[in-house]
Amino acid sequence: MSRHTHDMKICLAIFAKLSEYIDNELDELTCQDIERHARECIRCKTCLDTLKRTIDLCRNTGDKPLPEMFSFRLKEFIQSLS
Amino acid sequence: MTTNKPKPGKKKDDDSELIEAINSGQKKLFFDLVKRYQHRLYNFGLRMCRDKSDAEDLVQETFFNVFKYLKNFRYETKFKNWLYRIAGSVCIKKRRKSKFAPERELSLEEFIPKEGEPVQTELPGWAAMPIDKVLNAELSDTVQSAIQSLPEKYRLVIVLRDIEEFSTEETAQILKISPANVKVRLHRARLFLKEKLQEYFGNEPSYP
Repeated sequence: MSRHTHDMKICLAIFAKLSEYIDNELDELTCQDIERHARECIRCKTCLDTLKRTIDLCRNTGDKPLPEMFSFRLKEFIQSLS
Repeated sequence: MTTNKPKPGKKKDDDSELIEAINSGQKKLFFDLVKRYQHRLYNFGLRMCRDKSDAEDLVQETFFNVFKYLKNFRYETKFKNWLYRIAGSVCIKKRRKSKFAPERELSLEEFIPKEGEPVQTELPGWAAMPIDKVLNAELSDTVQSAIQSLPEKYRLVIVLRDIEEFSTEETAQILKISPANVKVRLHRARLFLKEKLQEYFGNEPSYP
């Protein structure tokens, strides 16, 4: 942990665009700017990596099985429609 | 009988043939369509509704509406996108009927620590280690709870984008909002989850 003392303007501008960067939704020049800044700013790099991991975890939490009783009831409901 | 067959230039997908058959009178095949999506939709319901019985209601109500309006399906979008548009509307309608407090807005500023606050300068273990070393049942439940604690409009976007894997454009069409709005909501939702995970892993401060 450290005190945040450097000019935050660039950090804040990048902070607002991190999701778009991760999703490849930014132009090449902006991506290069972010990558260059992240190489120099450990705070931005850490934020980027923890955000990436947040998304990975979100994508990998897995699904719950469909309850058998509900599956049965749904089938009956659908049959009552058709 | 008239049926809405996919016209040239329309979006034909893996479901088109089955939908054509159902719309041409083979109503019994509707359950085949249900079987293709019931599991995914149930999990979408679990993430959106907070409890199992509401998730089940959402699945049933969505398929009821699909059955009712399938004749009007114009193949202008993939069936899956149309299905989730209906499911999303069911969620929103359910919420309006309930007595929840008004939704709170998430602002970008709330995720920025005040000046002078300590910030994280080392990658924490949960972000540095391979994901299979980090993810377990307890963390999985924590992520699910964090998703469920998001205000609904942010929750819908993150579930559609990061879990159901719709593109920004598709999510915008499903929710009838602009792609720019999808991006704004998604970023705030992800930052919200990141904070919840940091709290879970030891209340480490966030950036910048």
